[in-house]
Amino acid sequence: MTADLYATATGLIERSAAAFVSGVPEDPADDGLFGPASVAWRVSTDLATPVAGLRSLLMQALHPLAMAGVDQHSGWRRDPVGRLAATSAYLATVTFGERAVAEQAAARVRRIHDHVRGVDAVTGRRYAAGDPALLLWVHAAQVDSVLAAGSLFGAALSAADSDRYVAEMVAAAELVGVPRPLVPASVAELGRYVASVRPGLSCTPAAAESMAYLLDPPGLDEEVAEIWQDVRDAAIAVLPDWARQMYGYDAPSLSPERKTEIRQSLGVVDAMFLGQPGVLEARQRIMLRMRAGRPA
Amino acid sequence: MKPRRLLATTMTGGAAAALTLVLLRRRLGPLRLDRGRAALRLFVRGGVRYAASAPRLFVAAGEQRQLLREDLALQTAEDVAGTLGAMKGVMMKIGQMASYVDGGLSPAVRHTLARLQDSVPPMSAELAAQVVTEELGVPPERAFARWDPRPIAAASIGQVHRAVTLDGRPVAVKVQYPGIAETIAADLRNVALIRRMLRIAAPAQDVDALLSELRDRIGEELDYRHEAASQRLMAAYYHGHPTIHIPAIIDELSTRRLITSELSGGARFAELATWPQHERDLAAETIYRFVFRSLYEVGAFNGDPHPGNYLFHRGGKVTFLDFGLVRHFTSAELQPLLQMARTICVEHDPEAFRASLENAGFLRPGAPLSTQEIVEHLAVFYDTIREPGPVTITSDYASSVVRRFFDLRSPVAQYIAVPRSYVILQRINLGLFAVLGELSATADWRAIAEEIWPFVHGPAATPMGQAEAAWRVRRHAIAA
Repeated sequence: MTADLYATATGLIERSAAAFVSGVPEDPADDGLFGPASVAWRVSTDLATPVAGLRSLLMQALHPLAMAGVDQHSGWRRDPVGRLAATSAYLATVTFGERAVAEQAAARVRRIHDHVRGVDAVTGRRYAAGDPALLLWVHAAQVDSVLAAGSLFGAALSAADSDRYVAEMVAAAELVGVPRPLVPASVAELGRYVASVRPGLSCTPAAAESMAYLLDPPGLDEEVAEIWQDVRDAAIAVLPDWARQMYGYDAPSLSPERKTEIRQSLGVVDAMFLGQPGVLEARQRIMLRMRAGRPA
Repeated sequence: MKPRRLLATTMTGGAAAALTLVLLRRRLGPLRLDRGRAALRLFVRGGVRYAASAPRLFVAAGEQRQLLREDLALQTAEDVAGTLGAMKGVMMKIGQMASYVDGGLSPAVRHTLARLQDSVPPMSAELAAQVVTEELGVPPERAFARWDPRPIAAASIGQVHRAVTLDGRPVAVKVQYPGIAETIAADLRNVALIRRMLRIAAPAQDVDALLSELRDRIGEELDYRHEAASQRLMAAYYHGHPTIHIPAIIDELSTRRLITSELSGGARFAELATWPQHERDLAAETIYRFVFRSLYEVGAFNGDPHPGNYLFHRGGKVTFLDFGLVRHFTSAELQPLLQMARTICVEHDPEAFRASLENAGFLRPGAPLSTQEIVEHLAVFYDTIREPGPVTITSDYASSVVRRFFDLRSPVAQYIAVPRSYVILQRINLGLFAVLGELSATADWRAIAEEIWPFVHGPAATPMGQAEAAWRVRRHAIAA
C-alpha cells in the first residue's frame, strides 16, 4: 500500500551523510548560531540522532496542518529520501554553518514556505507553512525529540544542559520566522507548550500513511531493514504515551538488554554513516573546534 | 536462498563481506569471481597502510607519529566508549582482521571498514599513563627507566609506546584502551546482530561455525595475557633458530591490558620488496617454514599472517610480531590436514583424498560429484607442493587461489564446508600465499614441505633447511 504511494528509500544513508557533510564548513569565518561550546554541537553527533530524527517526524506529523502542508506540497512521495536529506542538510547548516550561511538557508526555507498554503482536507482549516504556530510546533517537536531520544539511547544530558539546549535552540526557531517570545526557552516551558498544543493533534490519514512508510521504508536492503526496525522501535519507545496511542502503536518493551541491543544497532547505523565520503573528516572538524574552544 | 557453504569463507572475510551487504543495501549477487587480483592488491596496499600504523614497526617511528592524530586523542574512558562502543569496536576488529581477507568485498565496504579504523585516534599521554598505572601499580615513569609518552603506533584495541626497562632493555609496550574489553565483550554477546552481518557474508546455512570462532578469537584478543602466552610459547620453541626470531615477552611488565616485549628492528615489507630476489626468496622460505612448523610442531597458527607483522633482516632472518590471533590445534585436529596433504601430494590417491576430506568435514559425504571434479576444484590449493622442484609463487597464482576461494558457482562449492576448527586456516591461502606471491618467491616448496611433514621427515632441502636441522639437533640435545 504505502509502497505504491511512495518512492523507495534507496540511498537514505548516503544522501543524509552527504547532507551532513555539506553543512559542516571547512574553514568557517565565524562559529555560527551556536558555537563549539554549545550543547547543540555536543548532541549533534550523538548515536541517538536517527532515533531523534524519526521521533521528530512522528511528532510533527500529528499536527494536521503541518502534515497537510507536507502532504500536499513537498513532493515527499516522489522523493522521500531527497526530502529527508534536504532537512538534514538544513539542520546541519543551521547547527554548524557560518551565521550568514545559516541565515541564507533559512531565508530559502521561508521563501519556499511562502508558497505552501492550502486547505486541510480533514479539518477543512486553511494553513500556511509560514504560520509561526506551525513552525513552532515543528521546532518544538524536534527539540523535544533530541532530549527524549538522548535520554534513553544516547548521551543523556543533565537537567541544566537540557535547559541550555532548549534555550540555545530558540535561535533556530527565530531563524525560520517564529517570534522569539513565542519560543520555549527551558525544558519546563517546552513541556507546557507541548501540552498546550496536544488537544489539536491527531493522526490524520496522511500522517498514518506517511509514517507507516517511514517506519518500514521499502527499498532498504534486507539486513538494513532489520537494523532499521531497531531504530523504529527506539523512536516509538521514546514517544509520549499519548502520541503512541494516537498512532495506535504498542509500547515496545524496553528491557535493559533490549536497550543495549538497540544501541548496538545504532552503532552499526553510525558506522555506515561514518563510511560515507567526508563524514569522518566533518566530524573531526567539529571535534577539533570543540576541543579548541574548551578551556585547557 | 539455497543454503550453501563455501570454503571461501574465512571467519573474518565472512564477517566483512557481511558488512558489505549491510552497507551496500543492494544485492551484490554472487560474490564476484574476478576479485582475486583486486583483493591481493588491497592486501598489499592494506599491508603497507597497516604497516605504517602497525604496532610493530618501530623503525620509522617518526614517520608513524605523523599519522597519529594527537589533536583528536581519546582523553577519557568515555571517549573510548564513544569511539569504540556500540558495536563499533567489534566491527573494527572484524575489519582489521579482514582488511586483506576480502576477496568478496566491494570497494564501499572496504572503504567503510578502513574508515572505522581511521576513526580511532590514539589515547592521550595521560590516559595511556593511567592504564599503565592501573596495571602495574606505579606510573610509567617509575615502572620504566624511560617512557615515551607519545605512542609510536596504533595497535589492536590499543597503542604502542617505546620504553626502556629498569634493567636497561629497550622494549615496546602495547597498552589497551581502557574499558574496551568490557565494551567489546558486551557487544559480542549480541549474537543476533553479528549473525545478521555474517548471514549475508556467508551465504552458508551454517554461520555458527564462523560466528563462534570469531567470538572466541576476538574475545581472546581482549585479554592480552593470551597473546603474551602465545608469544612466549613461540619464542621458547624457536629459541636459537637460525632465521626465525620471536621477541621475548617481559613477564613482569605484561598484564591483561599491557604487553611488554623486546624491541625489534628490521626492514618493513615495502623495503624488502626492493631487496634482491635472492633475499626475497630467503625471507619467503623463512615465512613458509615458520607457518608450517608452527602449525605441525607447535600446534599453533598465527591467524594474522600479515606483512605488517614481519620485520626483515638480510640472509632470510625474519622477526615475527603480534600473536594476538593465534589458534592452537590438537594433534587430532591436525591429523586430517596431514592426511589430506599425504593422499593428494604423496600417495596421489584421489579416492583416499576424497575420503580424508569427508572425514575432516570439508566435504559432505555422498556428494553427487565425481572424485575428479573434487580434486580439480581443490588441487589448486596444493599446486605448489604436488610435485618436487622449484616453483615460483606468483601474484597470479595467489589470485587464482583467492578466486577459487570465492568461487561459489562451481558445482563443488555447495558441498564444501569449513569446519569450525579450520576456519582460521583459510588465512594460509589468503595471507601466506598473497605475501609469497607479492615477493615472487621461488623455492622447492615440496621439498621444504617434506622436511616439515611428520609423515615424511625429509632431508634438508636447502641451506636454510640444513641450518634448521642443526638447530633441531641442538634443541633435542638440550631437551634430552
